[in-house]
Amino acid sequence: MIRGRVLFVAGMAVTLAAGWAAFPRAIYRRSAQPVNFSHKVHTEKAGQSCEDCHSFREDGSFTGIPSLDKCASCHAAPMGTTAVEKEFIDKYVTPQREPEWRSYAEQPENVWFPHAIHVKRARMKCEACHGNQGTTDTPRVFERDRIGGYPRTTVHAGMPIPLGMNDCVECHRAQGLNHSCLDCHK
Amino acid sequence: MLAGGSAMGALLTPAPWRLIKDASLLSETWPGVPRPKTGTVATRFTNCSLCTAGCAVRARCIGKQPVQLAGVAGHPLSHGALCAYGIAGHHLPYHPDRLKSGAAEEAMAAVSGTIAKCVAGERVAVLDLRPGRTHSWTYRRAMNAVRNGLYLTPERQWRSDSAVDLGAAKVVLSFGTPLLDSWGTPGNVIAARENFRLIQAEAVESRTASMADLWLPVRPGSENALALRIANRLLDSGANSKDLPAGFRERVQMAESVDTGIADEQIRAVAGHLSSGGPALVLAASGSPDILALNLLIGAKGRTIVGRRETPVPEQWKNAAPETELSTVPDGSLRVLLIDESAPGEYVPWSSIERKLAPAAVVVAFAWSRDGYGRHASCVLPTAVYPESLDDVPAAVDSVTAAFRLSTPLMEARAGVVNPAEFVGKLGGVDAAGALRERADAIAKSGRGSVFTYADGKSAPVKQMKSDDFWKALNEGACWMDDRDAKAPLPALHFRERAASPVAIAEERGAAALVSPLMSKVYEESRLRLGKRGVALHPSSGLADGARAMLETDCGRMEVNVTLDSSVPPNVVQAAAGSELSDLCGPSAWAKVVRI
Repeated sequence: MIRGRVLFVAGMAVTLAAGWAAFPRAIYRRSAQPVNFSHKVHTEKAGQSCEDCHSFREDGSFTGIPSLDKCASCHAAPMGTTAVEKEFIDKYVTPQREPEWRSYAEQPENVWFPHAIHVKRARMKCEACHGNQGTTDTPRVFERDRIGGYPRTTVHAGMPIPLGMNDCVECHRAQGLNHSCLDCHK
Repeated sequence: MLAGGSAMGALLTPAPWRLIKDASLLSETWPGVPRPKTGTVATRFTNCSLCTAGCAVRARCIGKQPVQLAGVAGHPLSHGALCAYGIAGHHLPYHPDRLKSGAAEEAMAAVSGTIAKCVAGERVAVLDLRPGRTHSWTYRRAMNAVRNGLYLTPERQWRSDSAVDLGAAKVVLSFGTPLLDSWGTPGNVIAARENFRLIQAEAVESRTASMADLWLPVRPGSENALALRIANRLLDSGANSKDLPAGFRERVQMAESVDTGIADEQIRAVAGHLSSGGPALVLAASGSPDILALNLLIGAKGRTIVGRRETPVPEQWKNAAPETELSTVPDGSLRVLLIDESAPGEYVPWSSIERKLAPAAVVVAFAWSRDGYGRHASCVLPTAVYPESLDDVPAAVDSVTAAFRLSTPLMEARAGVVNPAEFVGKLGGVDAAGALRERADAIAKSGRGSVFTYADGKSAPVKQMKSDDFWKALNEGACWMDDRDAKAPLPALHFRERAASPVAIAEERGAAALVSPLMSKVYEESRLRLGKRGVALHPSSGLADGARAMLETDCGRMEVNVTLDSSVPPNVVQAAAGSELSDLCGPSAWAKVVRI
């Protein structure tokens, strides 16, 4: 009897550990961002806001992750003394090579997400979907689900989570909005 | 116990739930299920060819795969609108019911061999469900060259020389025409809507009736009588009575004793709206002469029904077979019939075609699926599906000027598809490959009209453009619109009554045999529309909601799914349009639904 209970608890403990610690490491393929970019330095020291780099074009489309031109407009020459900046200039700015950023908020191509409607009309804050991205000193590791292919999008209650359709639907319903499939899936 | 503990522990971790969720994604992406590509997004423009509205389309494409379709803002005809079918049009090439192969060489051999053996009185014909295209001219030219060749069209209420000017109308009286639901150019109807009062005379409270300013719930079968009683009020008030159909006045008197379900005061009020509410228009889904004659009484000709010039064609094309309506062809005279079903248009019930066929006739259908004439033809050849196909879209009924727009392919057609124009062209020694360019050059040479280009939203007169630039603009997304011709002759109204269907049709989508599987799922699960074999009956029918039943007519029977709807009058069967139903109902006199 006691032996049975011990085995039960042992089995439970092993799978709990596997499920909570090992599984997340196994299910996600990890890769680093090409540059150890610090949002914190850019917002606190340089005094920039989200919109300074992630902005709307004249036609209403969203620039997303800025291209090298945006970075080079300030960092054509080193602005500080950090090794990270020097490496960025040597590897990307000087040879005019676009960094291959990995987008945490990547959605499938059959999803149509307009930033303009959510930011300008619904007046949503960036943090609502992107979490504390704008305050990070180093970019978190990019993790992509090996089976589903989705990246871990945002951080919620300290845990990185993928932002999926259910999250969008939940928020839309909370706002009293009803939509059909084709409003978001073109 | 170890296993039990492990199972319990596993359930308390995210692992199994995450694996289930991820596995469900795999279940949506079996081999063969199309997946949107990833990559750089490019914007391309084309025109939708799913119906004659030919709405302008802005497509987001990843390489050669369109992933999103939307309208083009500011377009002078479609005004940026794109209907639900058009929005999901890029799903069609992946439709599971799509035809993938056909015996083209054998079909050509059979057709050529049969043509060679035709005797006097036997004809070779092409039935074009969407006349007015450049392909249509290829068919006409080919049939002119083929011995005993005929170019056939369905009966049409509105021909290419006449159009409805909805923008000029202040009052529209519609007898069953689905004006607010798939008629004309949706964007144009929406744009004009607030300028006219819509009176919908219909037995069933259709979507158009529910959105009309006034719904006249006319007793089923008495629509003509209602029109005649309105005509009587108009004649009493001195309306112009020239050119009325034969026997009109006699029928007007007889109609006074018919119970239409509409009170006399209401009839008087409607006549008052038509005569003094501003430019008015009367539409009739059935094409009834007695209903359309109201347009003569209210002076619609030249005001809301206008003449329209033809889109120019090269001079050498004018030596072509004339348009002949199928109904005028002697029964049993068609030895070879080629049906172009690749551009959806009016579906002609098979019984109307079958009677025209000679014994052992060879019938070849060019189609996307077997659902239409493929069920009856000797041979079905697969064609390219929108947005794979290259075609032009003739002007819609509500386009007051001629128009020319290309539906340029957004993706490559799959191997094995047949181009019906090239097939028919070969029979008559006509080169179909360069026909669109030739027609564009003829338009450019005429110097008429202007071109609206979608990328920049600008218009330019054609006479300021070189033909190469004009052709390039059309291919990159543009629409040519003719100038309005103040001297265009007033159109003749074509009085040709279509046999009334014993079943009220819930929607008219013509012969579009393929609808995006997503749209079908959305509509059928939400019951926004009746499904492919759906009928709606009044709750007093005695059948249960969701029951299976048999729809019987004197043309045959078909298993249907019943929806109970109190907006459908008792003793009326409402059904979705479709080729199967059209075959079953036309020209049948009666229909009933029985429990099975």
